Amino acid sequence: MDRTTRSLAGFGVDRRTLLKSAAIGVAGVASPFVQTARAAETVRIGLDDTFTGTYAALGKNEMIGAQLAVEQINAKGGILGRPVELLIEDSTSGDAGAAVQKATKLIERDHVNFLLGNVNSALAQAMAQVANSHGVLHVVPGGHTDAITGDNCHWNVFRVCNTTAMETAAVASVLIKNFGKKFYYLIPDYAFGHTLHSGMERAAKPLGGISVGADLVPLGTTDFSSYLIKAQAANPDVIIFFFAGDDMINALKQAVQFGLNRKFHLAGAQQELEALLGLPPEARVGTWVFEWYWNQPGVPHVEEFVAKIRQKTGGHVPTARTWFGYASTWTCALAAETAKSLDAVKMARALQDFHLPPEVALMPNGAFYRAGQNQLIPDLFVGNAREKGPKDPEDLFEVTEVVKGSSVAGTLEETGCKMNWPA
Amino acid sequence: MRHKGERESPQGPSTAVSGAPADMNQLILFNLFNGLIVGAFYALMALGLSLIMNLTGVINFAHGGFLAIGAYLAYSLIPYVGFWGALIIAPLLTAAIGLVVERLLIRRVYGLDPLYSLLLTFGLAFILEDATRLIWGAQAVAYQVPSALTTPLSYDYFFLTGYRLLMVAIAAVVVIALFVILKYTRLGMRIRAGTTDLETVSALGVNTSILRNLNFGLGIYLAGLAGVLAAGQLGLQPTIGSSLIMPSFVSIIIGGLGSLPGTLLGGLLIGVASSLTSVFYPSATEAVMYVLMASVLLVRPRGLLGEEGRF
Repeated sequence: MDRTTRSLAGFGVDRRTLLKSAAIGVAGVASPFVQTARAAETVRIGLDDTFTGTYAALGKNEMIGAQLAVEQINAKGGILGRPVELLIEDSTSGDAGAAVQKATKLIERDHVNFLLGNVNSALAQAMAQVANSHGVLHVVPGGHTDAITGDNCHWNVFRVCNTTAMETAAVASVLIKNFGKKFYYLIPDYAFGHTLHSGMERAAKPLGGISVGADLVPLGTTDFSSYLIKAQAANPDVIIFFFAGDDMINALKQAVQFGLNRKFHLAGAQQELEALLGLPPEARVGTWVFEWYWNQPGVPHVEEFVAKIRQKTGGHVPTARTWFGYASTWTCALAAETAKSLDAVKMARALQDFHLPPEVALMPNGAFYRAGQNQLIPDLFVGNAREKGPKDPEDLFEVTEVVKGSSVAGTLEETGCKMNWPA
Repeated sequence: MRHKGERESPQGPSTAVSGAPADMNQLILFNLFNGLIVGAFYALMALGLSLIMNLTGVINFAHGGFLAIGAYLAYSLIPYVGFWGALIIAPLLTAAIGLVVERLLIRRVYGLDPLYSLLLTFGLAFILEDATRLIWGAQAVAYQVPSALTTPLSYDYFFLTGYRLLMVAIAAVVVIALFVILKYTRLGMRIRAGTTDLETVSALGVNTSILRNLNFGLGIYLAGLAGVLAAGQLGLQPTIGSSLIMPSFVSIIIGGLGSLPGTLLGGLLIGVASSLTSVFYPSATEAVMYVLMASVLLVRPRGLLGEEGRF
């Protein structure tokens, strides 16, 4: 009573409140020490991903998948009996320096047992270097450049998403069989675009595919009309869009505005639900590869996964990115459980030829990490975008064919991966 | 470069299906025309930036953020007032937000080293981007333009949609209106006078605080309008403004600081330059505007139509 009147009287803080807040303040400052005592207990997974900038939506979905996985892992007793904690850091969408700094902080200061990330392939590669020099197990959920499990592969770096070689190989035959042999390529001018182009040419050539033209388009181009008119002039059977993210949305939007979808078939190797959601309905066209799709009737465990993610996102379905985050995090837990250890080398060995259980793989033919490459070999979903789903507003992709990853992954030699294990 | 635009030669006279220009001259003509359209859009954005810079010396790095706000407001308004209603209301709302921001934040850095305004607006840009991400989400949203506008007007030379024509028409009308306002209205005359000598204008009894406030609002109106127009062509997500801000700065530098006609010219010039470059050397489409800027700075630092001694 007395205390209340005095506080109201003139913002005066009485002595007891002051002491209490000081105590709380000291506890706040002292808490790292308290946490260190606890840290020996928890297993920590560090997610260093893109939460701001152009890839923010993708990174966020990966995070949601990872969070669900951590909840499930903890519900089952954690990793080797210890609770799991997910630490989240923003790498920004394009700053390799920030990604490396956050990764270093997670490893050296927070002592994470696992590193996850990044949407941006270049950042993922930079982080892989950091993880490798510290000997920490690193799982890349959605960075696509082939080199991560190819020329620049490391014993401690694993990847969930497909290589560009696999994606192009999956769709090439479908395009040639159904639409024709003449391709015009629109290629974003960076590693991802270049490898998609060479992959598609490699896959299409034995089937009789011909390139009637190609354009290297700077990343972040906003006006595609000059490239689209060249594509039209070349009179192809298919116009191939190798873009991702905003570039894909802009290019498709403009292509449809120019009516190109009525004269030619539009297609590409990689498409994501995030892009289709950002397009106006009439621009949701084309033949694409999805790396994971939420609507898989008859495949066990998928519906439960979708339902649980809907609870976390306020009704939105999981995208391939959500599954990448989910599978990556579960990979960490399963690696530790299989190796019965948190030692990175033992876990990496345990993951060689490791098959993900069906409730994590969530696809008809399952998925496994190829030994000697650390690359997940999953199913790929080839199909067509559609304006709106028959039953669900977010069912924007109609899967026409599920391609087994092993049939398009090529040989180990072709990937160029030569793994050096520590002594 | 490995992949020049290799094409097989066109199959004789244009077929009924694809009557598109297939030879170099027509391609150049198309890109010239298209470049003017793109340039008109850049000019619209740059003019708002230039207006603010000329009167107050504030370099508004947050201009792209206001563009994004304009676009998102239009997106939220469309279900209630339709596409055309949103086109009218959203830029006005954005301008209102601009007036508030000027009153609360920008006003504090007048008269200081330009670095202060730069830092302030740079930080503001981040805040605006994160605010749009917080309110509308990081996921790109589907912005619906009336289908009547998005069908191609002609399959032959012009490769033009009604929407692009609308963009140019609106840009032209607004630019003309801007010059009319500046030349014939009292507000416009005061802005022009203030650009030359703000102190004297103040001494003559004009309330310069209100003048700068309204000027800022006018500049932000243009940014908001540019945003609403951009949303019909581009994917609408929080970073939409950041990809469009650099051409604005380059337009101003090329056209000349302190000159609005110069900014207009600069915008059109880089639009045409980018489009034409995409015919011959696509990888350089973004770089060419910086090359132009560097050339102008070396040869005529004040800009093509700029005043000497400014900045």
